Amino acid sequence: MNTIVDTAPRRGLLAAILYRLTALVRNPHGKPRALMTITWLYMIWTIVPVVVAIMFSFNDGRSISVWQGFDATRWYWGDPVHSVLHDAGLQSALWQSLKLAGLDMLIATPIGVLLALGLARWRGYGKRPANFLMLFPLITPEIVMGVSLYLVFQYVYVFINPSTTAQVIGQVTFSISYVVIVVRGRLMSIGAQYEEAAADLGASSWDSLRLVLFPLMLPAILASMMIVFAISIDNFVIAQWLSCGAGCDTVPIKVYSATRSAPLPSINAVAAIMVYLTLGAVILAFVLYRLLTRGERVKGQAGGDFTKMGSVDFN
Amino acid sequence: MTQGTNGSIQLRDISKRFGDHIAVDGINMDIPSGEFFSMLGPSGCGKTTTLRMIAGFEQPDTGSIVLDGQDMVHSPPHKRPVNTVFQNYALFPHLNVFDNVAFGLRRGRISKDEVNRRANEALELVMLSDLGDRRPSELSGGQQQRVALARALVLKPAGLLLDEPLGALDAKLRRQLQIELKALQERVGITFIYVTHDQDEALTMSDRIAVMNEGQVEQMGSPQEIYEAPETAFVADFLGASNLMDGVAHGRDGNGRCQVTVGDHELLAALGQSDVNGPGKVTIRPERVQLERPGTSDHHENRIDGEVERSIYIGSAFQLIVRLDAGCTIEVEIQNSGCQETFEIGSRVVAYLPPDALRVLPEKRDRSQAAPAVARASDRERTGQREETTESSTENTDTGRTARQAQA
Repeated sequence: MNTIVDTAPRRGLLAAILYRLTALVRNPHGKPRALMTITWLYMIWTIVPVVVAIMFSFNDGRSISVWQGFDATRWYWGDPVHSVLHDAGLQSALWQSLKLAGLDMLIATPIGVLLALGLARWRGYGKRPANFLMLFPLITPEIVMGVSLYLVFQYVYVFINPSTTAQVIGQVTFSISYVVIVVRGRLMSIGAQYEEAAADLGASSWDSLRLVLFPLMLPAILASMMIVFAISIDNFVIAQWLSCGAGCDTVPIKVYSATRSAPLPSINAVAAIMVYLTLGAVILAFVLYRLLTRGERVKGQAGGDFTKMGSVDFN
Repeated sequence: MTQGTNGSIQLRDISKRFGDHIAVDGINMDIPSGEFFSMLGPSGCGKTTTLRMIAGFEQPDTGSIVLDGQDMVHSPPHKRPVNTVFQNYALFPHLNVFDNVAFGLRRGRISKDEVNRRANEALELVMLSDLGDRRPSELSGGQQQRVALARALVLKPAGLLLDEPLGALDAKLRRQLQIELKALQERVGITFIYVTHDQDEALTMSDRIAVMNEGQVEQMGSPQEIYEAPETAFVADFLGASNLMDGVAHGRDGNGRCQVTVGDHELLAALGQSDVNGPGKVTIRPERVQLERPGTSDHHENRIDGEVERSIYIGSAFQLIVRLDAGCTIEVEIQNSGCQETFEIGSRVVAYLPPDALRVLPEKRDRSQAAPAVARASDRERTGQREETTESSTENTDTGRTARQAQA
C-alpha cells in the first residue's frame, strides 16, 4: 500500500544489485568512484611498461624478455664488455642525447620567451595569424618536419650538413612552440598591471622587464625548459633524419637499431638512465617552481588564484 | 623627475577612442594644487581612461595634459611625476612589503640609507612598520591597500591618482579608509585624483567632483553643489534618491518660477533655472514630498492625487512608493518621528510637491555651458591650424554621439 514511498524496483536480485551500483556511481555527493577507477587504471597502464623496462635493466642474464635473476650492477657498469660504462657506442649515444637536449633547452627557451613577449604585446593586424603559425610545429607530423628539414638542409641551406648542429637546429625549430605556448599562458595571467605599476614607479622598460616581469615569468620559463628537455632527449625522428651517422646516434636511435639485431639488457640500462635523468629534471624543476612562487601562495592553501591561472602548474 | 612640485593639473580637450568606441569625448578639467578631486560616474563613462591618460598608460587622441605648466602628453609613464594606486593594487607578488615600497625609490639616484629611511617613513605613515618583511599575499585587503598607498606616496609625487582603490574592500573597512584617506591627503597636501562609481565615497572625501557620463563631464562642482543643485537629469539620477518625472516646461511665470506640465497637471518649480522650454525632467527629493489625505487641504497648487503602492519600513523612516494620477510613480520618505501619519497600501493620497523643492532640468545639456571659462579663453588664443583640428575632432565626436543615441 505504500507504493509512493518505496522507490526501489522489485524485479529480482540482478536488478537490485544494478540499482545499488548505479546509485553508488550516481550519488552526486559521494566520491567520484567511476572517475577515480578510470584514472587509476590509466596510471597503472602507463607505468607498467616503464617499470618492466627498468626491471630488465637489472636482469642477471642476457635476455631482455626472460627474467634470470637480479643483478643490480651488471648492465650499468659490472659487465666488462657490454655494460653501459664499457660500451663506447652506448655512452656516446647517451652523451649525444644529453648534448642535444641541453643545447636545445638553452637555445629554444630564450628565443621562445622573446617570441612569447612579442606575441603578448602584438596589437592589431597579423596577431591572429602569428598566433596560429606558432602552433604549426605542434600540429605538423614529426616525420614531415624531419623529412622537410632534411630536404631543406640538403638543397636550400646547403651550408648546413647533416651533423650535431643540424640536429640541434632541427630540434630547436620543433620545440620553440612549446616554450611560446607555456610562457604566453603565464604572461596572459600576469597581465599588464605589474608592468604598468613598475613604469608608474619610475622603472624604465628594461628595468620593469628585468625586475618585475622576468621574476614573474620564471616559473613558466623553468617549466618550458623542462618540457623542452623532455621532448628533446627522446626525440627520434628529427635526430635520425639529420644524423651524420654513428657519431650522431642518440639513445633512441641506438635502442631502435639494437632491438633489430641482438638486444642486451644494457639497452634497458641506458633507457633507465634516461628515465632517471628526466625524473631528476622534473623534480628539480618542481622544487625550483615551488621556491619561486612561494610568495604567490596564500598560507594554508595549495595554490593561490594567481598560480592556478597559469597554463602550467605542477601542483 | 620633477618631484615635490605643487601639482596643479589641467586637461584640455582630451579625447580618446578605442576602435569605434569613444571612451573620452573632449574633457576639460582644471585641478588646482592640493585638491581632492573625484571623477564620479557609472562604469564605461571614461573616468578610468581619463586617469590612465594622466598616468601615461594611454595616449590621448587629441588634447593636452598640463602639469604645473608643462605638457606631459608625450612623456612616458615612468617620466611623469604622478603615481597611481591601482584598483587591484598591483603589488609585486615576488617582493615583500618593504621592497614593494622601496621599488620606486631604488629607480632614482638615492643613497641606500635615504631609501631605507624614506621607505620606513612611508610604512609608518600607513601604520604598517612592523609588516615590512611580509609578502603581499600574506596581508589582508585593507593592508594591501595601505601598502599600495605607501608605495605611491613614498616618491612624493606632484599628484596621486587613485583608481577605485576601495572597491575591493567590505563596506565597514571602506568607510574607515575613506576618513583615513581624506586625513592623509590633508596631511601630505598632494593633489589627489580619485576615480569612483560610489557617490558616497566621492561626496565624503572630495573637494570637487566631476560627474561623468558617456565620456563627457556632466557637471563639475563641490559635493554640495552637485548633490543639491544637479544641472542635468543624469546627475540628479546618479547622485542617489531623486524622483525624476517627465514633463514639458513652458518658461518663467510672473514670480520667476518655471511652469511645467507633468501629465495633465501644472506645476511650478522654483529651484535652479526657470527659463526652460520644451521637454525635460522634473525632480524632487523623496524627503521633500508631503503626503496629505484627500480633502484635508483647500489649495490645489502643486498637488497631485495618487495611490500608495508600497510602504517600506527602513527604521529611521518610512519609504512609500506612490503612483500619481499624472502617470508616474514617485518615492516619498517620511521621517519616523513617532507621531507621523501612516498611510496604508492602496489608500488614496494627495502628494504636495512644494515649488521650492522642485527643479526642472532640460533634457539634453547644452555643451558649451559645461566647459570651464578658462578653457574657452585659451581656445581663442590658439592658432588657426590648431582650431582646424579641434573643429574636425568635434565634428567626429558629434557624429559618434548621434550614432550612440540612435543605438540607445
